[in-house]
Amino acid sequence: MKSDFSPYVPRPATLVAKKELNEYVTLFEFAQDSGKPLAHRPGQFIQVSVYGVGEAPFSVSSPPRTDHHHFEIAVRRVGSVTNALHGLEVGAKIGIRGPYGSYFPMQKFVGQDFLFVAGGLGYIPLRSVLHYMLRHRDEFGKLTLLVGTRNPGERIFTDQLAEISKRSDLDVLETVDAPDEEWQGNVGVITTLFPKIRINPETTYVATIGPPVMYRFVIQECSKLGIPQDRIYVSLERRMKCGLGKCGHCQINGLNCCLDGPVFCYTEIAGLGEAL
Amino acid sequence: MIAYTIYLPQIKGLLRKWSQEFEIHVPTRAEGDFFEFRPWTQEVEIAWDYDLAYTTLKKFFLPPKEDILCFNMKDYSANPVINAPRQLLLGVHPYDIKAVNQLDQLMDMDSPDVNYRARRDNTLIFGLEPANVADTAFWSSMGAARVDFGFDLYWTRISPGAFFVQVGSAKGEEMIKLDGPIEKSSVAQKEAARRAHLKILAQAEKRTLKYDWNRVPDQVNKFFSNRTFWMERAKTCLSCGSCNLVCPTCYCFDIQEEADDLLKQGKRYRQWDGCMLTGFAEIAGGHNFRASAWERYRHRYMRKGKYIFDKLGELGCVGCGRCVRACTARIANPREVYNDIWEAIKNEI
Repeated sequence: MKSDFSPYVPRPATLVAKKELNEYVTLFEFAQDSGKPLAHRPGQFIQVSVYGVGEAPFSVSSPPRTDHHHFEIAVRRVGSVTNALHGLEVGAKIGIRGPYGSYFPMQKFVGQDFLFVAGGLGYIPLRSVLHYMLRHRDEFGKLTLLVGTRNPGERIFTDQLAEISKRSDLDVLETVDAPDEEWQGNVGVITTLFPKIRINPETTYVATIGPPVMYRFVIQECSKLGIPQDRIYVSLERRMKCGLGKCGHCQINGLNCCLDGPVFCYTEIAGLGEAL
Repeated sequence: MIAYTIYLPQIKGLLRKWSQEFEIHVPTRAEGDFFEFRPWTQEVEIAWDYDLAYTTLKKFFLPPKEDILCFNMKDYSANPVINAPRQLLLGVHPYDIKAVNQLDQLMDMDSPDVNYRARRDNTLIFGLEPANVADTAFWSSMGAARVDFGFDLYWTRISPGAFFVQVGSAKGEEMIKLDGPIEKSSVAQKEAARRAHLKILAQAEKRTLKYDWNRVPDQVNKFFSNRTFWMERAKTCLSCGSCNLVCPTCYCFDIQEEADDLLKQGKRYRQWDGCMLTGFAEIAGGHNFRASAWERYRHRYMRKGKYIFDKLGELGCVGCGRCVRACTARIANPREVYNDIWEAIKNEI
């Protein structure tokens, strides 16, 4: 029996550009074959298929665009699907489903200050929010960006970071856990940057994404600064397989990370033993 | 309530008629005291007095392995695959109907699962009042001794040679009348069905939860952070996933695919997965959000006892007792887990 519609059917998209961000991470720019914009919101994810290999979830790294149908994901080479993606040549096709999941409520942030706390690959999804804000710069207040990486070799988007660091309407602070001989900047885990920033806790929203171990410490630092819990947003990583709240893999206590998340206000997950 | 009385000699004729349109599955004695649903043929003997089918009926709606997509690796076109055979399940106990009713809601929720829905729509369920209770079952205390919907017909044996058949849908009524005129049930026959229900209920009540099932979510939630309790319970867990496999309300799945030899086309399929298996909550790079057996064990009882309740207003455990039978380490027992938590909380106060 054939049916016209199934939520499991991907749509084709074509690889239009590819750029290595470091030894393991590559930025991919895709165009939807339909010619339509992806229509995602910052923080949402898509399911990417490389037929014959499989499907895996990725956060969209580019901000939403209505003027063209391109979008970007940045991928670390770590498993079968990500390795297959790294092997694609420009012009190759992939399948996509989505966008899926919750997103950062941009309208709520209008007129407010914003603090980004990006650990490692957490910068990839946060970039979608950051570039949205930079594009609509006059709608937002003071912007502060904290970026932490394990070592200088694992830094990503270094050109863009260097560029936006020059802007006067954005404070960028970077640190690495383990410096090499050339590293001139801050050294230490990302929370060591907190004493260096000046923010108004009453007008600041926070978005933080990073490795699982990072969240508790960042939230603790935010609390020390006096930022209320309902002003802290996180995005959590789980293994979404269906993206539709059915397959069970991404469950965090009773929540489905693919439907209720990946973006959560901290108050939504504060009491959940499996969240952070 | 419309009901008819069907006599044993009439059943074979009906089955023959039904089999022209449907694949019929009936409870049969598989081996010793084990029963299983099997395709009906003229030779098959229906085990009307079975206590519990070893595996669950979810396989008829969510097959252990099911194709969901075929794709072309050259042009990246893809089409859904939806197979929905016309099936008739005869002899389904109320706790299993309740489990299917839950799956209906969960699969239709948010983004409806079209594969499940197609199979469900093509399946008729003829319920059957149990005549025996499995020695591991506790469904009477889980609100699963009776269902008000989810069946097309509901059969109760009221004498060695007669069934009281309650109509649950127009299609059910059409089916029961398919082989000629039948007798409308009398008040006395309806009363006999009621007595049969009370009789089996009395038998089932010998093994129950010690408190109202409505309170399970609250009780189990209070014990979420009690690591000692869960670690102690799960210390012999083999993470084999048997409890997931036999559970009528477990529906987690994995998605995989395979390509043909020429790498031209392929198909994507889903297959049963289980939250008790080691890698279930693992993400790329190897981080595992439920790395220990006790965390997975806790998740399973939280899911049955609270998370499903939060979504549907009823427990995710129907008390069939299959997991109790299937568990290789003899530690899967929702009734004991929820009762022990209840006792522990009571003694603390």
